[in-house]
Amino acid sequence: MQYIFCIMEYLYYICLMENLKLKIARVENSLSQQELADLVGATRQTIGLIEKGKYNPSLNLCINIAKALNKTLNDLFWDETNMK
Amino acid sequence: MDERNKLIAYKVISIMYFLTIFAIQGVVIYRQFALGQELSDFEDIAIIMTINSLFLISALLYFGAIPIRKLKVKSILLIYVVFVILGSLFTYAKYNIFRSPGLSFEQLFDKLIIIFTILGLMMGFWILLSILGKRRLDKELE
Repeated sequence: MQYIFCIMEYLYYICLMENLKLKIARVENSLSQQELADLVGATRQTIGLIEKGKYNPSLNLCINIAKALNKTLNDLFWDETNMK
Repeated sequence: MDERNKLIAYKVISIMYFLTIFAIQGVVIYRQFALGQELSDFEDIAIIMTINSLFLISALLYFGAIPIRKLKVKSILLIYVVFVILGSLFTYAKYNIFRSPGLSFEQLFDKLIIIFTILGLMMGFWILLSILGKRRLDKELE
């Protein structure tokens, strides 16, 4: 039973690491990763890695993504879970 | 090519650059100490290595990769002394440990003067570039 809790906790942290806000905003705008990448001048892989939380984009790229999705930086990249 | 690709490319290029430099340095040491070759046998490699190291540190200082808040005479002297000690030890090992008969005290002293002079010039060049780099950055910030 303890192992199951551990696995669930691990999966929860993986979900937290992922940038789900970006993914949701992209889907809301009916854009594929490739289309968003073309809009912001990046590659599809980069967008995918940002969504997975495995790449920290530069501020310029963050701004371009936010503009392309009609969102603010806070909407997409601010992590409220770690705020006290 | 986006920023991530560039970042990866820069990282790979940096690692490969340092591996190449270390490999060439290894070759120079092997030739000098294991094969006992004269400097004239690998002078070209030695010159390239020296210029490369000199300009690498110079570029790092000029473009602000090495953070220097303030140039302190004490720190400069300390670095200079460390370089002189390392240079002297290397020269002593080269002539009096790996070769026999070794150099006399007078000959070693002559070598030491050369080390003092070259390292002094190098340090002067680096200080100049640090100042120029800092000025360039201050100008950009104005």
